[in-house]
Amino acid sequence: MSPNRQIRGGKVVPVANLYTIILGLAFFVVLATAVFVAYKCYIQYETIYFSIP
Amino acid sequence: MTISSIFLCGIVVTYVALADNYKEQYNDMKTDRDSFKETAESKTEQYNQKDAEKVAIENKLNSEIAKLNTEIGTLKGQLKDFEDQRKNWLQRVSDMASVVETTTQTSKETTKLMMDKEAELNKLKAERIKLIDQFEDTSTTLLEKLAVIQTLEKEKKQLIEEKVELQNRLDKLLQPTGRTPAPVVTITPKPTEIARPAPVIAKKIGLKGQVTAVDTKNKMASISIGTADGVKEGMKFHVTRGDKFICDMLIIDTDAEEAVGALELVQEQPRPGDTVSTNL
Repeated sequence: MSPNRQIRGGKVVPVANLYTIILGLAFFVVLATAVFVAYKCYIQYETIYFSIP
Repeated sequence: MTISSIFLCGIVVTYVALADNYKEQYNDMKTDRDSFKETAESKTEQYNQKDAEKVAIENKLNSEIAKLNTEIGTLKGQLKDFEDQRKNWLQRVSDMASVVETTTQTSKETTKLMMDKEAELNKLKAERIKLIDQFEDTSTTLLEKLAVIQTLEKEKKQLIEEKVELQNRLDKLLQPTGRTPAPVVTITPKPTEIARPAPVIAKKIGLKGQVTAVDTKNKMASISIGTADGVKEGMKFHVTRGDKFICDMLIIDTDAEEAVGALELVQEQPRPGDTVSTNL
């Protein structure tokens, strides 16, 4: 995702820079949030799906 | 966009972490509702039970009220009877009051009469004392007269002896001449009958009564007759039971309707109801 993409031998090589780290962190945060919400739903309502009793 | 998603995730996590547990609240409310429902059913049952009890008590009280109404009717009848009796008693009381008034007046008259009689008695006592004095004087005179009579009898006896002697002498003098002396005529006539003392007249008292109480400790007893019947202090009564002699009783105190005396010659313990009399 960097604007300065490196090209080696005609192949696109990913650059590990700050944006990638932020993107990974955001992915991890979203994943952790989803797991936390699922955990809370299971603990409180004993299911992770929405239903009307 | 990445940062926004992170921020959004933070908001989501915060909301989920702070969100209320609606299921738990629902379960609590359901439990409370069931509890309230059970309580309501229990209360309804209790209400029905109490209602049945109330009906039973109401019936019982109604029967008691009917019973009490009957008793009230009976008591009213009794009250009426008592009021009638009260009126009768009031009438009797007023009659008795008039009787008491009459009796009081009679008592006053009797008291006055008694005082008159007492004065008369005192007068009679004075006369009795005077008569006793006269009797003593008469007795003294009688003794003197008896002494004179004895002297006169002696003189008479001497005169008779002298007369017999003189008659013998006269007979001896007149026999030779064939004459007899004429009978002597006295101026004083001869007594036709000899004076005799008048017989003593004694009358039995004849009082009779009953023993009313006995004090064995002090050897005393009371009897049912008093001064109104003629009992006087110093009188002696004989206590008998049937034909059996019990004891003698010496009267030491008298009342109008009662007298008290000391027991003497006790053969057997006297009892209330035994007969007392002055003469056996």
